[in-house]
Amino acid sequence: MAYNKPIPDPEQYINKPFWDGCKEGKLMLPRCLTCNRVHFFPRVICPHCQSDALEWVEASGEGYIHTFAVQHRAFGGWAEETPFVTAFIDLKEGDRMLTVLRGVDPLKPESIKIGAKVKIEFEAASDDVSIPFWRVVE
Amino acid sequence: MPNNPSMAAAIVGAAESNKIGYIEEGTTATKLHLEAIINVCKQTGIHPSEIEGVFSTGFSPQIAEHLGIHPKYMDTTAVGGCSFIMHVHHALAAINAGIIDIAVVSHGEAGYSARKNKGNGTNRGLGEDRWSVGNQFEVPYGIAGAPSNYAHAMTRHMHQYGTTKEDFAQIAVVTRDWATLNPRAVMHSKDTHPAGGPMTVQDVLNSRLIAWPLNLLDICLVTDHGGAVIVASAEKARSLRTRPVWIAGAGENTSHSSMLEMGDFTATSAAASANSAYKMAGMGPGEMELAMIYDSFTITAAITAEMLGLAPRGQGHTLWADGKAGPGGSGIPINTNGGGLSFSHSGMYGMMLLVEAYRQLSGTAEDGVNGIAGKQTSAKTAIVNGTGGSLSNTGTLVLVADD
Repeated sequence: MAYNKPIPDPEQYINKPFWDGCKEGKLMLPRCLTCNRVHFFPRVICPHCQSDALEWVEASGEGYIHTFAVQHRAFGGWAEETPFVTAFIDLKEGDRMLTVLRGVDPLKPESIKIGAKVKIEFEAASDDVSIPFWRVVE
Repeated sequence: MPNNPSMAAAIVGAAESNKIGYIEEGTTATKLHLEAIINVCKQTGIHPSEIEGVFSTGFSPQIAEHLGIHPKYMDTTAVGGCSFIMHVHHALAAINAGIIDIAVVSHGEAGYSARKNKGNGTNRGLGEDRWSVGNQFEVPYGIAGAPSNYAHAMTRHMHQYGTTKEDFAQIAVVTRDWATLNPRAVMHSKDTHPAGGPMTVQDVLNSRLIAWPLNLLDICLVTDHGGAVIVASAEKARSLRTRPVWIAGAGENTSHSSMLEMGDFTATSAAASANSAYKMAGMGPGEMELAMIYDSFTITAAITAEMLGLAPRGQGHTLWADGKAGPGGSGIPINTNGGGLSFSHSGMYGMMLLVEAYRQLSGTAEDGVNGIAGKQTSAKTAIVNGTGGSLSNTGTLVLVADD
């Protein structure tokens, strides 16, 4: 079945290396050459120290649940998947990403543990775009 | 003219983005803004972190987010080509008032590239711009509307402080009690709405789940509403037949635009905006006798109460416990109109906070139409706080009744 949920446009000038990485199964993050910290979402300048000297590095694809919610109402393709769990992920390298969490039971939110370890995986949404998702691994 | 702003500020640098004109490889409005800001910072030696005010047409919060700063003064006045001249004027006034010392006035517009990009990169909002942060990194995960976002903050609050769904439901229950004293409230009674009138914690918990841990009755209404207040000079205010309510303090702040940048999910910039307002007023939370708090969700009200200093961190909900914040309660009255939860919430609710705060402090909260016996409080001071975005932006006022 064709992917029926929103697909991001991978041609955005600032974010393109991120989406290129996803297509190759890699989590690419911007890192500041001045303060050495990574950030997400990608920027023109580092949000921590405002340097414009940035590079892209491949990240571990590991992280932890910072917080989550169970979506019982959604729109478009996602409406067919309710309930599903959204979560903010603390990346091992620092900063955060949003995801739809895999490997959890949306009907048992009490069983989902903040701080639980998660790993990244990629779903090919189209020929051009792979979207990162995170799965609980413990 | 007393307090003449003349000479109070100067233009200390000017710069353009790296490339201008026909940028064949393409660009975005955001990129143009940021390049110009960095260039003028380099020219003047002012570090971006020193910028306290962002003046721009439309998307100042996004510019602040890109800069990684939390400006305490924002202006999005967008009235065409003359806007930026006006921004300088506004910045002068703000500086003369002593609110900020360094403001950036910024412009970026990818008119040429946007045509090639099919309108993307203009930073004009989610629906129109496939390249916005939301459409790149949030919408692909089924995030749609405020409840889907705010629920994450409630989960984190419960995790961090041991709060429960029952604690938050109590806020909705007490707020409903106020609505029963406001005949214009949507949820005033069974006459105004099938689900109106007094309710219980169990009613909230039994209502439909929207985004766990948020149930339907944890969430504000969606209504039609209009409102207005008139602000006048002290001299003018004293000459009118209506009672003035004095603006003793004011503040504003922002902590993020995208929820991806919300560092602490149990805190909002209301702490900063309230601090500014208290400081200007020379008053503190202990002197506030009424609180009008934007209650888009029960969690919003609880966190905001904490940020305003009305309760310790993690204890905001206790203000509503045992009906303390309700009619005739033993604590500070909160949201005496019935709130966005049970009175009326059109989308941008802030105006209704102002209207009710004015009524309470001018002694007109019980006119039979907008309030019946029991709604008027004895408050002579009020803290008013509005929240916008995804727990993103806040504005706070300290208001004081006329002697």
